[in-house]
Amino acid sequence: MKPPREIVQTILQEFRGSLYRIYRSIFRGSYPATLRQQLGVVVNNLVLHVHPTRVYRRSIRPAGTLGLGLICFYLFVIEWITGVYLMFYYEPSVSAAYGRIQDLDSVVTFGRVVRNVHRWGAEAMVVFVFLHMCRVFYTGAYKPPREFNWVLGVILLLLTLALSFTGYLLPWDQLSFWAVTVGTNIASYAPVLGPKFRFLLLGGDTVGSEALLRFYTLHVIAVPTVAALLINYHIWRVIKDGGLARPPQQEPQSADGVVPTFPLVVYMELLVFVVLTVGLLVVSLLFNAPLEEEANPLQPSNPSKAPWYFLGLQELVSYSAFWGGVMVPTVLTLFLLVLPYIDRGPDGVGEWFARKRLGMIILWSLLLIGIVVTILIGVYFRGPNWNFYWPWNAWPGPD
Amino acid sequence: MDEVEKIERWVILACLLLTAILGWAAWDASTQEWEGYQESYYRLALLRANSEAQKEWVRAQPVEIKQLQPKEHRSVERCITCHLAVDNPMFRDAPEPFRAHSSLLVSHPAQRFGCVVCHGGEGRAVTTLEGHGQGNIRAKPLLRGEYMQAACYSCHGEANLSPKAVAAVVRGRQLVNRYLCLGCHQIRGVGGEEGPDLSAVGSNRSWLWLYAHLARPQAIVVGSTMPVFLLSRAEVKDITIYLMTLLDSRDRFRNTPPAAEQRTKSYQGEEPKEEAKKEKENLPENAAAEKFRYDGGLLFHGAGCTMCHSIGNRGGEVGPALTYIGRKRKTEELERLLRDPEEVLPGGKMPQLYLNDEQIKTLAAYLSTLQ
Repeated sequence: MKPPREIVQTILQEFRGSLYRIYRSIFRGSYPATLRQQLGVVVNNLVLHVHPTRVYRRSIRPAGTLGLGLICFYLFVIEWITGVYLMFYYEPSVSAAYGRIQDLDSVVTFGRVVRNVHRWGAEAMVVFVFLHMCRVFYTGAYKPPREFNWVLGVILLLLTLALSFTGYLLPWDQLSFWAVTVGTNIASYAPVLGPKFRFLLLGGDTVGSEALLRFYTLHVIAVPTVAALLINYHIWRVIKDGGLARPPQQEPQSADGVVPTFPLVVYMELLVFVVLTVGLLVVSLLFNAPLEEEANPLQPSNPSKAPWYFLGLQELVSYSAFWGGVMVPTVLTLFLLVLPYIDRGPDGVGEWFARKRLGMIILWSLLLIGIVVTILIGVYFRGPNWNFYWPWNAWPGPD
Repeated sequence: MDEVEKIERWVILACLLLTAILGWAAWDASTQEWEGYQESYYRLALLRANSEAQKEWVRAQPVEIKQLQPKEHRSVERCITCHLAVDNPMFRDAPEPFRAHSSLLVSHPAQRFGCVVCHGGEGRAVTTLEGHGQGNIRAKPLLRGEYMQAACYSCHGEANLSPKAVAAVVRGRQLVNRYLCLGCHQIRGVGGEEGPDLSAVGSNRSWLWLYAHLARPQAIVVGSTMPVFLLSRAEVKDITIYLMTLLDSRDRFRNTPPAAEQRTKSYQGEEPKEEAKKEKENLPENAAAEKFRYDGGLLFHGAGCTMCHSIGNRGGEVGPALTYIGRKRKTEELERLLRDPEEVLPGGKMPQLYLNDEQIKTLAAYLSTLQ
């Protein structure tokens, strides 16, 4: 008969041993303590292996990238998870959709907060994808050999807008109904193909049950699948193109300039994720996603506004349907797609606001100001009948 | 490893923060307004219980969302989550939200009809603000007081209800007639095409919206050409109640013909009229109909003349001011003009008003008094 203390020790030992065995079975090895193991784990772990084993120290400076690409990726993941939760309750039919959203907001456990996270996360994703693109531009990171990855990024921006826009219709309230009516009207201004494209998207001439079903299918399976594949490709290309852009003369000469990915970079990425989640949750607990009364095709809201990221276009459309609906979006997209093939000089790669790229920087900033100002006018300065109102002037109307 | 430890510490801090936020979210999801109401109700029910058996029953009640799925229409209504005492006779004198329903509940069983069809409001919501449609003019606010007549009328029509129970609807219909609303608006195929069709206006607008709009159209619809009729509050209310009876087929909830032995006897002693006749009953008399006993002034303001013309400093600016029209034109001239504006002023903007002779006479006589 052993003394009880020894028995306890044996049990603890067994317990620790089995925990260790479980850990090994999951992570295929012990905790990486030595440098050699730490380099190895990045190669051997499915999640970590998208990283290089070591990264340049300058690549992980927060001021270098502001973590914007990473935030976009995380937002996509958060949207995916919350989206699946919402799918359990949602029904894409004209008669049921609005009631389902009301149920989510009133009786489904965590329904309201999950819908809020999904909504604000979607708005944030549009913002952060755009900011990420601005970062890449201002640091000249699209220049050879990274041209094609920029093109992928532009496509991902368009997919983000498509995801947000298709999701906009699903609550089937007045806000979503008229926003999508206005948004698809903008698309129909394109000559010849415009009306056909609108018909294809809506499955009819007006927003109705066919449109809801199509937007739903696009929103929950078609666009996310394409986006997920392209996001993988986009990240893979970052590594294959030689990591983050950096000035040619700053190639690190010694091992001092690099740091093993595990554990420092992994922790940093984890930190960004947790902070982002906290931020999104706080916003979602404080502010509810909008929900107006049920969609009513007979009662247009006044003003009927497209989703905010299309309000710049709507503002231009109010002056000229051709310029706002056709020329500006087409030229802007083409400009973005061909940009890295035109602006190929090696100047200013991996450097914020390089003096030598002054012309391009001014051009981009003007575009940026133009986009932001037209959107702000559309959001805050346009009232009933698209009349101009200062934000401090109340609109005529009940509220 | 200094660097790593530092970042580790931040990660741990952030994770603690995340845990706290998730706790907040869980607390937020678990503290609901209706839970408070249910707890108060069961406490009150325990005090009012007469027997030990009743007390046992009250104690056994779970705190949970309660909902009705009325058989007669496809909806979910959660009003009884807070209004728990609707069918509890012991709460007949209790204050809301725990008052027992009047005896009308017997002939209108909630299992069959639900609450919203009579009371309005947003059945799916479980907060006072959203359920009662407060805080947003476009939401569906509760129908209270005389406004409930609209709901009674929508199902039963006029013939099956006592005159008192539909008095406001009838007054509203008369006012719609008097102010010639159908001069511009259509109701189920009758009326003008100047303004929006009102056939389903009760479904498309809340009564709050209608009330505010009737009082001052331009305050609600920017650039509306609807004249300001300077209605009294009582008139606005009556017209609103009448308009709330104009529902589209989705919301129109006709009383299914009851079994012969239960058939409600109409107050006039007649059999309930047929569907089509009921519809027609609810229409105001045609604009060109007979029986115009209103004076020209009323006609002038009612026919929408003030949309274009002004008297004194009040009215529109499209047509000439009529302040001194009686000095400029003879009564016969005015009558001819009103009968066919195109003949007297070819190419002018003055529209054909389709007034009958009596109306033309009255209006012309009124206009010639403006000196």
